[in-house]
Amino acid sequence: MEAAELVATVLTVMWLLTLAIAMVYRCPSGILRRKTMAISSIVRKVLFRALVGLVMVYLLFAGFILWAMHQPPETFGRVMSRMPDAAYLILPFETMWTHARAGQLQNGDPAPDFSLLKLDKSDKVQLSALSSRQPVVLVFGSYT
Amino acid sequence: MYILEAHPTDVWQTESNIKEKIVFASPKDYQEREFVAGSCVRKLGIKFPAVLDGFDNSVEKAYTGWPDRIYLIDKQGRIAYKSKPGPFGFKPEELKAALEHVAK
Repeated sequence: MEAAELVATVLTVMWLLTLAIAMVYRCPSGILRRKTMAISSIVRKVLFRALVGLVMVYLLFAGFILWAMHQPPETFGRVMSRMPDAAYLILPFETMWTHARAGQLQNGDPAPDFSLLKLDKSDKVQLSALSSRQPVVLVFGSYT
Repeated sequence: MYILEAHPTDVWQTESNIKEKIVFASPKDYQEREFVAGSCVRKLGIKFPAVLDGFDNSVEKAYTGWPDRIYLIDKQGRIAYKSKPGPFGFKPEELKAALEHVAK
């Protein structure tokens, strides 16, 4: 999934570049050639600047989303609630999310201990006491 | 491990929340979270024990559990499996493989 996502992003950028280069270097034919040479030079400059601008906007946008992914869930949620669905298509979203939410814990690390009340309030659960008897699965989630 | 909401109405409600009628605002305190967690467990028929993270979200922060994530802790109290962050990384089939490995 992540590799396909990266390929889609690279292909989008390459397509934009190819389009810009084709438009910049397309030569008009016939008797209009000399008259349009001056115009095409200006058009080339404008198109090149527009392309640079587009790439900069894309990188700034990606940087902003990456920053939001590192913020607490509520901040990230507020940013994403205003995003168009297209953001998921033009950015390597899954890759960015996986890196932003990697966390400190690695396989083999001691699991941070906790003592929390069960939902039915029948008991408190201490992770270290439970895991000393059997392996423990933790499933983090919420209803919404 | 019931943690802070993924798509509360006041932050990031989605169309599927409305379609599936799972519409809740962010709980303002522990008791409200308890209420929403209770609805979740009842409506989804969750059989395994549910614990509530403290309202300071300290366990969620330690495990980067939001919005959803799976961990397997072995009998030495070490992390045997840590899924990639959800929703993309929430894969029960990976947990199954990790459980089979730990059982050996």
